[in-house]
Amino acid sequence: MRHGFLDRHSRLQSPIHALPAWSKALATLAVVVSMAVASPSWWPVLVVAAVLLAAVTWQSRIPAGFLLRRLLLVEPVVVIVATLALWQPGGRTLFAMLVARSTLSLAALILFVNTTRFSEVLDLLRRCRVPSLLLTVLALMYRCVFVLVDEAERLQRARVSRSFSPSAARSWRWVAFQAGQLFVRSSERAERIYAAMCARGWRP
Amino acid sequence: MNAVEVRDLAFAYSDGTPALRGVSFAVAEGECVGIVGPNGAGKSTLLLHLNGVLPEAPDGSGAVHVFGAPITKENLYEVRRTVGLLFQDPDDQLLCPTVGEDVAFGPRQLGLGGPELGARVAAALARVGLAGFEARSAHHLSRGEKRRVCLAGLLACESRVLVLDEPTSELDPRGRRELKSLLASIPATKLIATHDLEMVVELCSRVVVLDRGQVVAAGETVALLGDEALMLAHGLERPHVLRHRHPHD
Amino acid sequence: MHIPDGFLSLQTAAAAAAVSAVTVGVCVRRLRRTLQPRQVPLLGLTATFVFVAQMLNFPVAGGTSGHLLGATLVAVLLGPAAAVLVITTVLVVQCLVFADGGLLALGANVLNMAVIGGLAGGGLHLLVRRFGSGLRGTVTAAAFASWCSVVLAATACAIQLALSGAAPARLVLPAMAGVHAVIGLGEAVITALVLVSIGTTRPELVGGVETPTSRRPALAPRGLLVVLALVALAVPFGSSLPDGLQWVVGQLGLEHRAVVTAGAPLADYLVPGLDSSLLATALAGLAGAGLMLGVSCLLGRLLVPGKRARAEG
Repeated sequence: MRHGFLDRHSRLQSPIHALPAWSKALATLAVVVSMAVASPSWWPVLVVAAVLLAAVTWQSRIPAGFLLRRLLLVEPVVVIVATLALWQPGGRTLFAMLVARSTLSLAALILFVNTTRFSEVLDLLRRCRVPSLLLTVLALMYRCVFVLVDEAERLQRARVSRSFSPSAARSWRWVAFQAGQLFVRSSERAERIYAAMCARGWRP
Repeated sequence: MNAVEVRDLAFAYSDGTPALRGVSFAVAEGECVGIVGPNGAGKSTLLLHLNGVLPEAPDGSGAVHVFGAPITKENLYEVRRTVGLLFQDPDDQLLCPTVGEDVAFGPRQLGLGGPELGARVAAALARVGLAGFEARSAHHLSRGEKRRVCLAGLLACESRVLVLDEPTSELDPRGRRELKSLLASIPATKLIATHDLEMVVELCSRVVVLDRGQVVAAGETVALLGDEALMLAHGLERPHVLRHRHPHD
Repeated sequence: MHIPDGFLSLQTAAAAAAVSAVTVGVCVRRLRRTLQPRQVPLLGLTATFVFVAQMLNFPVAGGTSGHLLGATLVAVLLGPAAAVLVITTVLVVQCLVFADGGLLALGANVLNMAVIGGLAGGGLHLLVRRFGSGLRGTVTAAAFASWCSVVLAATACAIQLALSGAAPARLVLPAMAGVHAVIGLGEAVITALVLVSIGTTRPELVGGVETPTSRRPALAPRGLLVVLALVALAVPFGSSLPDGLQWVVGQLGLEHRAVVTAGAPLADYLVPGLDSSLLATALAGLAGAGLMLGVSCLLGRLLVPGKRARAEG
């Protein structure tokens, strides 16, 4: 599985978790934006951001090991993309800057999503005038991800229990078949969910 | 007055497969009626008709009457508030990220909001034994808890008729026991479609037996479910609790 | 292809976010007009499906594996406007629930993967679709469209990185386009296989949710034009934007001051638009697309048995 299901941390109790979602969103945005405009001569800004993020991590009771592991997961991509910068003027400074800025921004975002419930995020988006159709689809998706992951796992187990000789070409067919079945089941579930929404008085 | 009355209801799916063929029965207010029958008998399809989810556009045929009035385009939302539907798979019914929002979904469609809504949600959750679960995520609940949240969603709408599709399926014995005592404590009119005949004996005074889209028998629970021949003919089984009550045993 | 935060300059990120917001807004308005109520949950479930399908691994040589990206697949299944909305939803959840893809970069990621991926994929599919019939036509067109949409999205991503001064255009453009020409091949095969799997079990699910009125085909070609214009215009347009980071880097790397000056920081390699390496990349892209059309026809023939074969089987 590519993503650990991480929202368990967003249900911890801490002073940071108790803050209103908009304040955390603004703070995250502030960190990310200041990282985007920070230039090499502004390195103290990076140090300040790092110290702040460390303090927030400590206060939020999110295990530091978890944060580091999440950072390491994305770091290869960051380093590869940043490597391209080495081929231009001021490359080495730029490379270091890109990696530092990117890591700090990512840490801020990881802290945000792990201290804020998605329902609060949705509320925030609603207040930012995000179209209601998009919000409905977002809420449904968030709700159904966990249901569908279980369904995918069941399909996967059924496949493993019946496959005896793995060949690459056949396994591509199998995985694609599995994906196709997943879509078929999703569309059937969508029908049932529509019936349930109607039964509960939903008006389009 | 009959809470629900079905008169000669017929329905075929868009591919032409007939699902219901002339179903008729009535349920008096406050009654608890079981709907039993083999898989594919049309139970779920019948239930979807009871609050106007099917047919897709009310056709004005007047096949389903709720508290004396046929379901029409005009009173559709009124009917959906009166008749609450509990779906077989709670994952189909739980729509919102948190328990509190989900229970509030129905009442909010009715135009409720503010502290009144909050109080109603809290009361409904307390009623199903999940007080204080408002902020929990729907996907972190057990199967039984999910089903109780769905039930709380119906109670929050103050539905007068509860229509339940397989409420005890996939529950462990304790979950079943808890759900049964919960259902027994709710005074609303209830229609329960199920394979759990023990529950039918405990909760329902009357039973409608459905097979291949038709009502093949209807009557008093113990007499009907105790009829071995009838049960076997329609893919059912005489429940164990009735064995010692049957005259031939 | 998720751009993390820290690579895009504020200007590039803001411009991309603005374009994305407008396009997603247009798609939402269009869907509100054409979508039937019963299809709203289908959009949510399809978004979930894409998210979960991206976790299914397709084994590639040497223990590595690839996965579906899905924009074209959704465009084929539900139509281009729905694809833009669905992929946007997936990206928002990935960003705000799993911290996958940057927050400031969200607009750019939506632009590349949802808007360009969905509109180009859907548009090209409808365009090529006219030359074939039945499931085979759909599969052939979808394979070709998904390769193109992946390469176009990667190109857009490279342009944004270059505009932000995070990487030189003459390097990042061929690199991203080249790598994604290979990834796109995988995407084409996966998309084709998944479509065959759906099309053989539930053929009615392949075809789009937007009501088949006269309005339906209008968005796709227009959207495709917009996407192509965007990619083509971004190069000279973006180069005239002053770029803070680039400027500062120029200030620091004193020996390069002459090359990188404030005002036209990228003048060196972008204003001519088509210096030799970029021209070569563009030509290679066209050649690749031509080759891909052949590969797609082959895929269609291979995966979907013709009428005669089916009659015999």
